[in-house]
Amino acid sequence: MKSDGAGMDSPDTIIVGAGAAGLLLAARLAETGRRVTVLEAGPKRSTSDLISSQIWARRLKWSGPHVEELGDHKVGHAFNAGFGTGGSAVHHYGVWLRLHRGDFSVASDHGVGLDWPLDYDTLRAHYDSVQSEVGLSGDAEAEVWRPDGADYPMPPLPIFAQGRVLKKGFDKTGRRTAPLPLAINSQPYQGRAACQYDGWCDAGCPIGALANPLVTWLPRAQEAGVHIEHNAFVNRVLRDPNKASRITGVEYFQAGERHSLHAQQVIIAAFTVQSARILLSSADNNRPAPGNQFDQLGRYLTSHPAGTVFGLFDEETYPHQGVSGGQLISHDDYDKKNQGAAFGSSQWLIAHAIKPHDLLGYGTGRPDISGEKLKPWLQDAARHIGNMTLVAEDIAKPENRISLSGQRDVNGIALARTEHNLDTRTAQLWEQRIAEGQDIMRAAGAREVWHGPRVAMHIMGGTVMGNDEKLSVTDSYGRVHDTDNLYVSGPSLFPSSGAVNPTFTLSAIASRQAEHLTKQAD
Amino acid sequence: MALATTRRRLLTGGAALSWFLVNGSWLCMSAAQARVAGFSPQKLTDEQCTTLEILADELVPGARDAGIAAFIDSQLTAGEESLLIAKYLGVPAPQQLGFYQAALDSGTRLLATQDLSAAFAIELISKDEVLNWEGAPASFFSFVLRADALDVVYGTEHGFEQLGIPYMAHISPQEAW
Repeated sequence: MKSDGAGMDSPDTIIVGAGAAGLLLAARLAETGRRVTVLEAGPKRSTSDLISSQIWARRLKWSGPHVEELGDHKVGHAFNAGFGTGGSAVHHYGVWLRLHRGDFSVASDHGVGLDWPLDYDTLRAHYDSVQSEVGLSGDAEAEVWRPDGADYPMPPLPIFAQGRVLKKGFDKTGRRTAPLPLAINSQPYQGRAACQYDGWCDAGCPIGALANPLVTWLPRAQEAGVHIEHNAFVNRVLRDPNKASRITGVEYFQAGERHSLHAQQVIIAAFTVQSARILLSSADNNRPAPGNQFDQLGRYLTSHPAGTVFGLFDEETYPHQGVSGGQLISHDDYDKKNQGAAFGSSQWLIAHAIKPHDLLGYGTGRPDISGEKLKPWLQDAARHIGNMTLVAEDIAKPENRISLSGQRDVNGIALARTEHNLDTRTAQLWEQRIAEGQDIMRAAGAREVWHGPRVAMHIMGGTVMGNDEKLSVTDSYGRVHDTDNLYVSGPSLFPSSGAVNPTFTLSAIASRQAEHLTKQAD
Repeated sequence: MALATTRRRLLTGGAALSWFLVNGSWLCMSAAQARVAGFSPQKLTDEQCTTLEILADELVPGARDAGIAAFIDSQLTAGEESLLIAKYLGVPAPQQLGFYQAALDSGTRLLATQDLSAAFAIELISKDEVLNWEGAPASFFSFVLRADALDVVYGTEHGFEQLGIPYMAHISPQEAW
């Protein structure tokens, strides 16, 4: 084994993963004088790599060792995860929403899942500061359901034809909507350009209008001297043989060669599945994996059950206009968690800019239309389709978990394995809301309505935070319970899923972690 | 294309252009051009490519001329860097070659032994009504192949133009397939 791979000086902090959480922490810690090295499994990326093509953009998705997936609601790792600088946030849609107050106490309030070890008020200042740093566009007053917080630094993005058409369905069925809050510039912000509304967000935004880490935290990290080592696939953390709670560094593979790197502090921010895999792989003959003394590591894996409702209209919708995340939002049903046979919060993301092909494209979702009928149908849809996505809450269950597979990759590293099944109450919620969504689409005037399959959107849990060591893996700062200096960051910390897109919350948590670690160092 | 570009670099870069073996020489071209030039497939057999073109063109007219066989064969050659949509659908890169080979061999048998029209073959495949079909379920293969065909026919600037959609690229792909 090579020590201090690639000739790197021994850093103060090693961060595994150059995604939204990892680069935020790297920038913040390095700005306080710490020497930080980031190990990223994927290749180096810059904004000039972000080609406007759904096919080219598939390289932004996970391309590392395969993840085995089981269950009736597979988490879709290859689609949801990222690979390379910026991680999954390079292809994320920039939908930045705060969790609601009730999301932090589902176990106490409803007897399902887990409570968070912190509440909304603890995170509020970090939501506010991160929103100011990266730049959000929205209309806080119109979001009547939004928890307390600072106004958005930019006005909302404009509403285009598709949004105006779909809004009629919400109005007619008595549901409120608001402009979707987005980490996308509606006007120039901190030297970054305003959005051009051409719908290429999920292929990565090369102009920097969408706040992906390549244009937010990466420049700050680089300015502060952070070293990023790419194509460095971390296998496990290394422990002091004389003191199990002391983590001394990590072992990783690069170009088939095994390396080790040592530091005072290690932060695992490798996205949900890989973060758990790294910890699980760190068990040895005599000791359980860090954070696993009570067999909690990998448990409470969650993923939002989502589904898209489509409609064809006589009106022109110009669905290529706008941004991938959507134009409007409705949280009117969000706080009605308990509904008898169904349970959970839900939201509608309304009027996504959409393409004819790729996994979420309108052509792909209609396998019943092919042959000579296809082109005229696509030409019609290209001007008249409307679409909106349901995002529903997943109940955190201990049996839904990440574990190690019996199979290994080319370096002999055990593959990750996920098993995820939906609670019947969650499945019922999805069915109920999708039916309502079709009613909304009809009320908007659609001449034809259909919906896509139930899919997994976002991946959370597995290294959940909590106050009780027997029911969690880390404390509220992400420190792994039975260690002194090993931290986890990212959505794997979420004890429950809520029903909002996770990037804003994981960023607020990382901000709180950075503040804590900085104070600790002082 | 820079002279320094190697075949490996081009494939790992995921470029719209790929290297194809044509009459004994490696040439850099689009999949549609490779088809016209008579490329030699590297992973699929000629028979598998023929079946692929027949089925894909039935699902999405225009797929044959857009170079569906060259596109899929070149992506299978790219190994872990494959950009095929199958990676999203539970078929990771190392399993993709076997996935296509098994389904296309089944498709070849179906077309040959029963002398079916392509349209009827697709109907049977999409309904999982093919006897002795091997590999992944036939209807799943049909879904994936249709998505591949949508990629090559409509996932390009030229494809958008056919549908009347402005492409509005920030950074344009080098060339359409």
